[in-house]
Amino acid sequence: MRPSLRAWDWHLLGAALGLTVVSVVTITSASARLNPVLAWRQLTWALIGIGACLAVARMPISRWTELAGLAYGLGVILLVLVCIAGTTKLGATRWLSVFGLSLQPTELVKLGTVWLLARYLAGQPTPLPTRAVVTSLLLAGLPALLIFRQPDLGSATILAAIWLGMAWVSGLSRRHAAVLAGAMLGLAPLAWHILKPYQRDRLLAFINPHADPLGAGYTVIQSQIAIGSGQWVGRGWFAGTQNQLNFLPERHSDFIFSVVGEEWGLLGCLVVVAAFVLLLARVLDVALRTGTPHGRLLAVGVFAWVGYQAFVNLGMVSGLLPVVGVPLPLMSYGGTSMVALWIGLGTVLGTERTEEGMHPSPWS
Amino acid sequence: MSSRIVALRLVALIAAALIVLRLMDLQVLRGGRFRELAEHNRLRAVPELAPRGLIVDRRGEILAANQTVFRVAIIPQEVDELQPVLAHVSHVVGVPVDELSRQLSLRRSLPFVPATIVPQIPKPLALRLEEDRLHLPGLLVRPETVRAYPQRRVAAHLLGYLGRPQPEDLPVLKEYGVRAEHLIGRTGLEQAFDAYLRGRAGGAMVEVDHRARRVRTIGQRPAEPGQTLTLTIDASLQALIEEAFGSQPGAAVVLDPRSGEVLALVSVPSFNPAAFIGGSSREVQGYLSDPRSPLLNRATVGTYTPGSIAKVITAIAALEHGVITPATTIVCRGSLRIGDRTFFCWNRDGHGPMTVVDAIRGSCNVFFMQVGRWLGVERLTDAMWTVGWGRRTGWLLEEHAGLLPGRRLTEGEAAMLAIGQGELLITPMQAALLASTVANGGWLVKPWVVSAIGDRRTAKISTQRLRWSPETFEIIQRGMRQAVVHPEGTAFRASASRVPVAGKTGTAQTHLVERPHGWFIGYCPADAPRVAMAIVWEHGGSGGDLPTEIARAICDYIGAVSEPDRLVPDTASRPTATAAPSPSG
Repeated sequence: MRPSLRAWDWHLLGAALGLTVVSVVTITSASARLNPVLAWRQLTWALIGIGACLAVARMPISRWTELAGLAYGLGVILLVLVCIAGTTKLGATRWLSVFGLSLQPTELVKLGTVWLLARYLAGQPTPLPTRAVVTSLLLAGLPALLIFRQPDLGSATILAAIWLGMAWVSGLSRRHAAVLAGAMLGLAPLAWHILKPYQRDRLLAFINPHADPLGAGYTVIQSQIAIGSGQWVGRGWFAGTQNQLNFLPERHSDFIFSVVGEEWGLLGCLVVVAAFVLLLARVLDVALRTGTPHGRLLAVGVFAWVGYQAFVNLGMVSGLLPVVGVPLPLMSYGGTSMVALWIGLGTVLGTERTEEGMHPSPWS
Repeated sequence: MSSRIVALRLVALIAAALIVLRLMDLQVLRGGRFRELAEHNRLRAVPELAPRGLIVDRRGEILAANQTVFRVAIIPQEVDELQPVLAHVSHVVGVPVDELSRQLSLRRSLPFVPATIVPQIPKPLALRLEEDRLHLPGLLVRPETVRAYPQRRVAAHLLGYLGRPQPEDLPVLKEYGVRAEHLIGRTGLEQAFDAYLRGRAGGAMVEVDHRARRVRTIGQRPAEPGQTLTLTIDASLQALIEEAFGSQPGAAVVLDPRSGEVLALVSVPSFNPAAFIGGSSREVQGYLSDPRSPLLNRATVGTYTPGSIAKVITAIAALEHGVITPATTIVCRGSLRIGDRTFFCWNRDGHGPMTVVDAIRGSCNVFFMQVGRWLGVERLTDAMWTVGWGRRTGWLLEEHAGLLPGRRLTEGEAAMLAIGQGELLITPMQAALLASTVANGGWLVKPWVVSAIGDRRTAKISTQRLRWSPETFEIIQRGMRQAVVHPEGTAFRASASRVPVAGKTGTAQTHLVERPHGWFIGYCPADAPRVAMAIVWEHGGSGGDLPTEIARAICDYIGAVSEPDRLVPDTASRPTATAAPSPSG
C-alpha cells in the first residue's frame, strides 16, 4: 500500500539548494585560475545529487532498512580496496578510480553507517544496554579505523560524531557516556603516537601557526587573512586577491569558505551559516515529529553528519579548530560527497513525506 | 527522547554562535588589518633550504658534500615587464630567452616566492647581474647550497644522484616540506636514505612595506639540516681500484669476510653525479646514450658468466658429498669425451694426474668436468644456491638475482656447468660472497654499507653458518693459495703482493666473437683474511691478467694500511677466518 505523499519541506530543500548554488558560484571564482572545468563538474554532480534526492524522497524509509547493510558493506569493501589500490591524493589515499571516475568511498560509508546504525539502534530498548552500545560502536568503528589508516583523521572523527549523536538520541546512559569519555582521555596520548608526523604538525600549527609559516601553518595564516580581508561586504566575485593570486591552497575544496569570506564578506558568511542553521533545524524538526524510532534516528544521523562536518570545517578555516581536512557539506568541491549528502537529505525528506504516524509540521 | 533532540538543537545553535563570533572577530574587529595585508600582498614567503646531510667513508673522508652556487631567480609579481628582464639575463648568461621563460613557467610556486630560471652561474656573472638588478625589479641573484661530490666519480654508483621529485610522489613528499623545485635522491644511497639526508626545509613569512623591505617577521621555522651518512667504504681503496681499471669496463667488490662490511664497490665506466644537479645537461645526455652504459651499477646489477671461479663451488660440493676425497686423482690428457662430443681443457697438452688442490691451482677443466658428471646438476646447483647464487643477497640497493639453470641439462651441459659455463649468470657481488665464504671458512655474510646515520649506529651483522665442514674449506683455501704462489698457478701475478694472497681466476667464454670475461676472486692476508674480493673485467680477456693485477694492488693497499677502525666490536658469533666455530644447532 502506497502511503499518501505530503508536501515537500521547502525550508529544508531551499536551504540545501541555496548552499549548493553558493558552492557552484564560489567554485567558479575559486577555480578560475586553477581549472575552470571544476565549476561545471560541481554543477553536474549537484544536479545528479538533487535528482537522486528527489527520487529517494519518494520511497518509504523501510526501503533504507533493506539497503542499509548493502550500502555499508559495499562502502567498507571499497575502503579496503582503497587501502590496497587507491591513488594517493594530498598525502592520503582516499580515492578509488572506477572507470576513470575517482570515487571517494569515505562518503558512501558515512551514508551506509547512518542507515545501518538507524536500523540497528531502532530495535534497541531505552536506555541502551551495554551490548547495543558495543555493537553500534563496532559498526561505526570499523570504517572509522579504515579511514583513519588512509590516513584521514578528520573523516574518522565524523563517523564518531554520527555514532555519538545517534546513540545519544536512542538513549545512551550517562554511565556509558562517562566510561567512553574516560577511555578517550586515557587513549589520547597513545593516539598522538599513531598520528603521522604531518598530522602532528597540523595539530601543532593550530596551537601556533607561526611556528611553521610555510608548512602546516601556511593555510591557516592565508585563510584567516582571506576571510578577514572580506570585512563587511567582501571584495566582490572574482576580486579576492588571496583567492585569485593563488595564496589559498585547497580553496575549491576544504577552504571554499575562505573564498566566500574574502569575496562576499561577513554578509555572505552569515548567509551560509544561516542556511546551515535552517537546514539543521528542519532536519531535527523531522526527528521530533516522526512517529518511528527509525525515522527519528535517520534524521539525527544526517543532522550529526552535516552539522559536525560543517562546524569542524568552518572552525578549521577560521582558525578555531586544527586543520584536519574535512570538507564543507554541499559546498566543497567533490562529486561523491555532493551526491551522498543529497541522498542523505533525501531519506530525511522521505521520512517526512511518506511516514504514516508523522505529526504535522507547525511550520507549514 | 524529545528532550535529547532539543538538546542537540541547542548544541547546533551554540556552535553556530561560536562561528559567527569568530567571523566578526576576523572580519569586523581585525578586518582592516587583514584587508591591508591582502590588498598589498604584503606577505612574503621566504623559503630556507636545508643543507643535505654529508656522506662520508669509514674514516670520515667526504664523498658527498655541499657547496655554494649562485642562482638567477625572478619574482614574477614584482617584475614590471618580463621580456626586457629575460632578454638581459639571456644576454649576460648566454641562455636563450625561450629556455628562460620555459624554466620560469616550470618553477613558479607560491606568489612572491622567487622562481629559479638559471640554476647555476659563475661568480663573476653573478656579480655583474647583481649590479644590474637595481633597474630590473623582480630579478634576483641568490646564493644557495647545492650537493657537491668532491671526489667526483668515486663511488658514483653507490652514492647515486639527485633529481627533481616525480610529480606523482610530490603530494606525499609535500607533507615533509619537499617542493617541486627541490632536489631529492633519485638513485643509490642518495635515494635510499633521502629521508635522513634531506633534512627539512624551513622558512619565514615576512611582512614587507611598499618597497618590498621587511617590516616584521610573522612566523619562522628554521631549516633542519640532513643527517650525516657514514659508510663502510674505504674511499682510498675505492679510488685506487677505479683508477686501476683505467678505461677498461668492469666491476669489483671488496668486503670484510668477518662482518660483511663493503669496503669498495666499483663499477667502471663511472659517471659524475654532479652532472645531474643542473637538470638535463649535455653530460647527462652523454651518459644516457653511451653504449657502455656508465649509469649501470655493474657490481650488483651487472650479470656475467662466472667461468672457472665456479670450480670452487664444484670442488666444495664434490668434497662434501664424498664424490672425491682430497687424495682422489684424475688424469688430464687435454680433453674429455662425453657421449659423441669432445670437450677440451684450456691446456690442450693436458695437466697430467691431479688432486683437487692441483686442479684448483691450474684451473683444470677436465678434472672439474669429470667431477661435475659424478656430482650431477642437482647437487651442483644446490651448492651454488647455498652460497647465494641465483638469489638476492639482501643488499640494500638495486641488485640482480643472477641466474641458475632452470631446466634439465644433458650430461655435457652438466660438465660445462661444473666449470661455470652455460646458463649461469652471477653478479660481482655474488662472486665476492663466494670469496668471502671461502675466506671465513663457511659463513655466508650479508653485505652492508651504511654504518651510521647521524650519531646512530646502524651496523647489523647478519651471518649464516653453512652446513659444510671446515676441512673442506681448508682444502679449497690450500688450492687457492697454491694458485697464487705456485709458478704454474693461474693467479701467479698476485704473488708479487707484499701480503700473502689466495685466489682463483676465471676466463668466462661468452660469445664466439667477443672476448671472454676475466675474473679474479680471492682474499688476503691468506692466513687471517681481512678482505675478500671479486673483480670482473668485462669482455677484457684472461682473469690472470688485469683482474689479478688489480687484486695485487688491493692486497698491497690492505697490507699497507693498519687494520681500519673496526666498526663492530668482536663478538663470539662472528665468523673468524682461522677456525670456524662449530655450527649452532
